Amino acid sequence: MPVLQFTPQSSLVQPGFWNELTRLKIDILKLSDQSIPISGSYTPGRWIIDRESGNEIALNGSLSLSAESFDLQIKPPQHSVPAFGTLKNYNTIEEFKAANKAELFNEVTQDIWNATTKTNDPNQLSRFLLLTFADLKKYKYYYWFAFPAFVVKPAWEIDESGWMDSNTKIGHEGLLSIWQALQNVSIPLPYFLIRPSSKSPFEIGKLEDFSSFFANVPEDQRIVSFVDPSASPQNPGWPLRNLLTYLRAQFPDSTRKLQVICWRDVEVPTSGKPWRSRFGIVAIDPSSNMTSECPTAVGWEKNAQGKLGPRLADLGGMMDPTRLADQAV
Amino acid sequence: MAESLQMLMYLLEPEEFVAAGDFLTYKFPVWTWQKGDQAKARDYLPPEKQYLLTRGVPCLRRATSLAYTDADEDAERLVSFAEGGSKDKDDEWVETHAGRKAGDPSSAAGVIDDIPDLDGPASITGNMNTLNLNGGGPTSADDSGIIPDLDDIPDMEEENLEAEEDEATAKPATIVKEVEISKGNLLQVRTYDVMITYDKYYQTPRKGTPLIGSQVFQDVSADHALKTVTIEPFPHSSIQAASVHPCKHASVMKKIIEKMNAGVVEEQQRPRGKDGNKGKWLFRKVTGSGDDSKKTPDPDAVEGMRVDFYLIIFLKFIASIVPTIEVDSTTAF
Repeated sequence: MPVLQFTPQSSLVQPGFWNELTRLKIDILKLSDQSIPISGSYTPGRWIIDRESGNEIALNGSLSLSAESFDLQIKPPQHSVPAFGTLKNYNTIEEFKAANKAELFNEVTQDIWNATTKTNDPNQLSRFLLLTFADLKKYKYYYWFAFPAFVVKPAWEIDESGWMDSNTKIGHEGLLSIWQALQNVSIPLPYFLIRPSSKSPFEIGKLEDFSSFFANVPEDQRIVSFVDPSASPQNPGWPLRNLLTYLRAQFPDSTRKLQVICWRDVEVPTSGKPWRSRFGIVAIDPSSNMTSECPTAVGWEKNAQGKLGPRLADLGGMMDPTRLADQAV
Repeated sequence: MAESLQMLMYLLEPEEFVAAGDFLTYKFPVWTWQKGDQAKARDYLPPEKQYLLTRGVPCLRRATSLAYTDADEDAERLVSFAEGGSKDKDDEWVETHAGRKAGDPSSAAGVIDDIPDLDGPASITGNMNTLNLNGGGPTSADDSGIIPDLDDIPDMEEENLEAEEDEATAKPATIVKEVEISKGNLLQVRTYDVMITYDKYYQTPRKGTPLIGSQVFQDVSADHALKTVTIEPFPHSSIQAASVHPCKHASVMKKIIEKMNAGVVEEQQRPRGKDGNKGKWLFRKVTGSGDDSKKTPDPDAVEGMRVDFYLIIFLKFIASIVPTIEVDSTTAF
């Protein structure tokens, strides 16, 4: 069976985030470079019709930071699920360049591992790291994201039939019942469980309730699911990686083979459009047993050139009074 | 009919802005009300309904790269609302990319067809209030949103940061950032956050979207760059945003709505189900849909356009200024 491959997580920083970081840096943080907890959010992938060509363009859902990211209690925007992370802002470009990236990365990885094995907190499975240097004189912001995901060996594999149209497997009524159940949760669920129900085709449950929710459900009727930022037909998004590790660590006996739905439907499809969610069966070699040691992880974001390196947001045009004055003529 | 024409919807009270916003958010959930920075809240709007926001509006290519430029005059119409052959140039508005809108069946104009005929006539009295549409600036949705000068990026690539090739990581080829399309144009996806707010000073809606400086103008129709659209602070936060200037919206919206209203009234007076109004350039899908007449129990009941539609119409208007930003594409989500 083919190795299961995941679409790397991408990032999107809204200008409001840099604006707020600038304010914090000047008013509160000053020269402190302590780690700061932040929150972000991501949406499922989406599909846009290009009016010029009529083609459908797939867009992955990025982890998005905004001016509200410094407020951990903030409710994520509509159709989004929350993700939590650590911001490390440096005072100089030299410190930014000299940061001990491996150590910082491992700290976040360890946090995720603790959530996986000890605290049993699904909200921490998609933790991320953000390194920044804000050049306040030039309104330039250097940054580098990492989205640690555990490396499993041997790797997870996808069934020979690959990732399928969820409609053929679950059916319209089934998907509709899942969609409706998701609308009724008070806090958006990045990860959730699905089982057949007597009232509607399916009902959903929280990941942390795995044991009780699936207690009387045969293994071939259990489905695990997650809000999938990937729009790729054959590659689920990054959050599935740590979800699978979580399930293996928590429930080693019943998770060697799993039915997965990559949930990508924010709305019930209309006017002949298909359901976007994907269905697949993933499996792992029995020899791939979990240890109590924190596995290694990967997940530094590549820059626009596809290299492992930082990115730059130049907000001079938006924030520099001199340049704004020029434009205002 | 005379009564309908008195609905001066272009002059909105704050309450009517809220009503139109409620309708927009109800019909198109991609739009949400925002409370904004409380220190900057406008007291004539409810605290939780300070401005309207939709995030991540896709913009697939640059308006400057569109073939519709001055060389393609058919795509551009000088829309004259002046009556009686008036030569008043102030009454004219350039609609760009007209042919594109009308000719493409996938155009989002069809969205309007879905709008239900709500009960209750909206009686709107004219006063000097107009809506102030604040577009937020374009957001750096992706790499092309913020195009750094490569010389500025510190030389710190660390290909060895991750020790080995990870077999479970999908190759970058699967990530859609730029898509080659048939015409050979590169499709560069940007996304914008679009905000609409109400400004009592101008009393028109304004639309604001955050890219970086001049990059924004790549997405603005050449006829409107630096004239109608400028970069200025968004009133509800500290962010600079491209702002579609409100100053003349009121008069333009008035003309558009009067035209539309006449079309709607005409449609409502027509026998059921008959398609018509081919000559109405802007809202062909609206006036020609026949939906209004089908759903109106009494074909003789003339009610004209309703205030709830104001923002929907307004987005159509905005779409002509920023032709590649899919503000109007509410069903694409």
